Amino acid sequence: MSAPLAETLTQLRVGNQKSLVDFYQRSRHLFARWAQRKYQLAAPQAHELLQDTLLDFYDQVADGRLTLMPADLRAHVYGMAQQRLAAHVPTHMPLPAAEASRRQHLLAQFNQLGQDCQQVLTYFYFRGYNFEKMGGKMGFPNATVARRQKSNCLRKLYELLK
Amino acid sequence: MSPLTPSPDLRPYIDELERFADGQMTPEEQEAFELRLEQEDALAEAHATYEQLTADLRWAAGHNTLRQRLQSLDERMNERGDALARAQSLAKARQRRVALLSSLGAVVLVIAAAAAWYFTRPSPARPDRNWEAYYQPDPGPAVTTGLLHTRPLLSEALDQYQAGHYPAALHSLGRVSPTSVGADTLLYLRGLILLRQGQGNAAQLYLRRVGEQDSSSELARRARYHLGMAYWQARELTQARAELGTVAADSLNPYRASARQAIAAGVLQAE
Repeated sequence: MSAPLAETLTQLRVGNQKSLVDFYQRSRHLFARWAQRKYQLAAPQAHELLQDTLLDFYDQVADGRLTLMPADLRAHVYGMAQQRLAAHVPTHMPLPAAEASRRQHLLAQFNQLGQDCQQVLTYFYFRGYNFEKMGGKMGFPNATVARRQKSNCLRKLYELLK
Repeated sequence: MSPLTPSPDLRPYIDELERFADGQMTPEEQEAFELRLEQEDALAEAHATYEQLTADLRWAAGHNTLRQRLQSLDERMNERGDALARAQSLAKARQRRVALLSSLGAVVLVIAAAAAWYFTRPSPARPDRNWEAYYQPDPGPAVTTGLLHTRPLLSEALDQYQAGHYPAALHSLGRVSPTSVGADTLLYLRGLILLRQGQGNAAQLYLRRVGEQDSSSELARRARYHLGMAYWQARELTQARAELGTVAADSLNPYRASARQAIAAGVLQAE
């Protein structure tokens, strides 16, 4: 993480995940060796554990549970991984947190949507694209079509949630 | 909304809520909607639920995006690792192959060297079977000034013979008159030259005729030895053995020692 810590946190909050992806790329090998030595985890399981831990970290930043960037991110992430292992959290499940159940339900339904709908909602609600830019990315003829598509997808998701 | 806690149904309001949240209302519509939000509890509750839904959706989309990016990166890193491992394994296999071939080459080289030494080493147990190994050549009479003056053609032929120019020597010898040199001498020299030229069969014809008049002459004795060698050269071993046996038994023959050596080697028994 070459950017200042506070800036990294801000970037994560606005959806720039590059710092975490870079961290994964840099640390995957060392993390797997650490997990193998300490917990006898095979490399693929260690890789999954690191991915889940980074997702937990991202969630903590995104929903405001983490307001101060840890001075030693590596030690913080390794500690979170140890907590996951100690709590026997199943793979691809985040740590217990407030509203986790509701969000997990929404996430599950979100994944039920078609690829196009997932993409449209991601562009609008996560990337913050306006309808014109989203239409261009998705190959829609104009912004109105993009807006209708977004509305339809949101309604589909809502129907799945009910 | 939540599977655990009941939440108001958004469907009656969702169009308005969405237009409001997405900034699609005119300023007048927006003002009116904001007023309704303050006055209608059901709408305010639906609005809060909608905000929670979109916030959760923002989180879910971000979470999903990060998960997909990490998984995709993981797959790329795995592929790169596999490719590296494959390349290393190929390099190791190549090194092993080169080492094996080098070892094989070294072994073949050692065997070849040993075989070369074995077949070329001088061995008393394996006498040389080639006639040339036993042959004692006759250089013929020396070309002196006197001979050059008295018999220039003979001198020329002898000179060419001694220089190893056998076809030229035969040609020159053909011009020499038998009356000036002697028939036996010519026959003898012709036989010698043909023998050195590798024409054992032709040499026999001339060497056999030497000494037809006087078989005990010095020239006839010499001719007998070369005749034996001509037989050997033509691979007529029985005649060669007989002829060289005669030479070996003749105490006056100047080639007796050479003939005895060939007989004693036993190489004429069965080649």
